[in-house]
Amino acid sequence: MSNFGDIVVIADQIQNDLRPITFELLGAAQTLAEKLDVKVRALVMGHNLGNIPQELIHNGADSVYVVDQPELAEYTTLTYRRAAISVIESFEKPPHIAICGATTLGRDLAPRIASHFETGLTADCTELDIGDYQHKGKADPSKVGTYENCLYAIRPSFGESLKARIVGPWKTPQMATARTGALIPFATDTTRTGDITPITVKFEESDFRVKVVETVREVSDAMDLIQAKVIVSGGFGLGGPEGFDVVKDLASAFKESAVGSSRKAVDSGWIPYSHQVGQTGKTVRPVLYIALGISGAIQHRVGMSNSSTIIAVNKDEKAPIFQFAHYGIVGDLYEIAPLLKEQFKKSIAS
Amino acid sequence: MVNGYKMAVLIKQVPDTSSAAGVNPDGTVDRARAKRMINPFDKYALQKAIETRAAHGGEIIVISMGPPPAMEVLVEALEYGADAGYLLSDRRLAASDTLATAYALYKAVVYLKDVDIVFTGLQTTDGDTAQTGPQIAERLDVAQITYCETMEIVDGRIHASRIIDGGIQKLETAAPALITVANSASALEHKKFANVHKVKALSRDKAEKEKRIKTINLDDIGAEPERVGLLGSPTVVGKTWKLGEKGGSCQLFKGDKPSHEVELLVDALKGGDTGVEEYVA
Ligand SMILES: Cc1cc2nc3c(=O)[nH]c(=O)nc-3n(C[C@H](O)[C@H](O)[C@H](O)COP(=O)(O)OP(=O)(O)OC[C@H]3O[C@@H](n4cnc5c(N)ncnc54)[C@H](O)[C@@H]3O)c2cc1C
Ligand SMILES: Nc1ncnc2c1ncn2[C@@H]1O[C@H](COP(=O)(O)O)[C@@H](O)[C@H]1O
Repeated sequence: MSNFGDIVVIADQIQNDLRPITFELLGAAQTLAEKLDVKVRALVMGHNLGNIPQELIHNGADSVYVVDQPELAEYTTLTYRRAAISVIESFEKPPHIAICGATTLGRDLAPRIASHFETGLTADCTELDIGDYQHKGKADPSKVGTYENCLYAIRPSFGESLKARIVGPWKTPQMATARTGALIPFATDTTRTGDITPITVKFEESDFRVKVVETVREVSDAMDLIQAKVIVSGGFGLGGPEGFDVVKDLASAFKESAVGSSRKAVDSGWIPYSHQVGQTGKTVRPVLYIALGISGAIQHRVGMSNSSTIIAVNKDEKAPIFQFAHYGIVGDLYEIAPLLKEQFKKSIAS
Repeated sequence: MVNGYKMAVLIKQVPDTSSAAGVNPDGTVDRARAKRMINPFDKYALQKAIETRAAHGGEIIVISMGPPPAMEVLVEALEYGADAGYLLSDRRLAASDTLATAYALYKAVVYLKDVDIVFTGLQTTDGDTAQTGPQIAERLDVAQITYCETMEIVDGRIHASRIIDGGIQKLETAAPALITVANSASALEHKKFANVHKVKALSRDKAEKEKRIKTINLDDIGAEPERVGLLGSPTVVGKTWKLGEKGGSCQLFKGDKPSHEVELLVDALKGGDTGVEEYVA
């Protein structure tokens, strides 16, 4: 047995549906747990959670702590905060690591938990790992030393085309949020078993200071960008909103495909924000990413550079996107996109 | 009804990475040469405060934590219409991570006394964590609304909508509260701000504005020095490295016969291990 506390994964669920990030967190947590020789505990909060705890076990949790109470039917910061802190404080040993999705839920909740425990939290990680860290700071002699088995929270340092590894071995839990689409999900195994522990949380009057009046969910039958296998994205080079017809048309040549965009196209009002890929949009890692009329600014790149294959079409041979795309065509997207569609159909589909 | 709201808006000065100045060809920022600007989200935060004051009266105090040049963003905020500014500047704050930053800013808010609403940007373009706001809210023990798109106050209740994954959540709460303001991604929002800017460019007299801005340090706000800076930060940057340059590995097809280039490209994808073929409809 290891001396460390376990790893806690805070499940991300909306309307009793586990979000893909949860499986990715569990996948990463299992890899970390193996290195540390500890277990992965999932924490799930909500109401009428049904089969979700079981699903968490099948997807990589060794045990599950469930807070299933009517007060948690809808996410609110203060109720979920109370529940998460209560559960973590009930553990016999403080967790070594606690991770959360960098979703609108996780980014709202995790900082409150970290602040409560006065511990470090690294935002929006794209990789998590375990390793040693040697601190040599002169200004803070009390921290100097070599620390083993720290959480390596790795994130792009935006606008600076750097990756940074953040460590914080002095406090527990060592915390991080991870971006959707960046970590490799656990491969589901329905034969896995594990303990499921229900916990009842006592709320305080002040936990209900914020009331949810209404939750409006976008009804969209379009493929979710994050789950799409092929993404065709359009940028400012489209020249106008009608350009997205060409983007959509090319996307229709593929199964499980979706339409993405650069921020400049979103800011121009050509397509809704939900399609935006990049630093302030979504992180995607499809099998194929086709960029039409996108220059490849760093803020766009960090959202899509993990795609398995990237094809860029740009009329400017010097466009930065050609530095990291795998295949590029120099030319007018309006000419190339229909040809691509035709050629994919002709030479592959048949 | 409250007689106006006392509002604090937290604004940070960040390097302007959208302008070429100070951005090296490899994308790294040379902070000495880079232009400086107000963090874009913090403008939206300020805008919400200005709208709230227009509807209900009150006072807007902007706070920035940073080295002396951060004075510039406070001056700019006063130009937009903020009433007063505080520059929290202290060498002991250097290298603060979000936990330490949030502690210092929390102390500054408490120092202002009886603040009803704290506005922050959703996130900064340099730190880019979106953590500072919620961490301040935790210390203040107040309600928070993150990713706020719209808000108004009706009969003393704050009604707000926040972006959530897959939709919008409409919330209701009361002051005191902390609100982190998102860019609603609509160009309209931008235009509205442009108007506010014009209308509220009250005073072009820099010296007059600087009179309304006070520089304060850790001792003024009663912050414990060991809880900020390197000493008070539970995280440090262990190592940095350049994003893997795949430079040069791009197979570029160019020529004057596009249909031929396209054919070559698609052929290159055939029979390989890219997995693309599986998804052609
Ligand atoms: C804080 C911050 C956050 C940001 N977040 C994001 C983000 O999340 N996502 C994002 O994408 N951006 C983001 N950006 C913006 C980013 O810096 C770029 O401005 C943006 O990605 C550029 O979009 P674009 O490539 O579509 O436009 P441009 O840079 O204008 O590029 C258009 C390209 O189209 C090409 N072109 C023009 N006509 C044609 C044609 N007919 N055929 C082929 N090619 C053509 C041009 O050669 C050019 O390369 C952010 C910026 C900041 C400061
Ligand atoms: N040094 C600072 N001074 C003033 N406000 C700050 C500072 N750092 C962060 N903030 C506020 O916290 C928000 C979120 O910042 P961040 O956590 O860095 O993404 C910003 O939009 C600001 O409103």
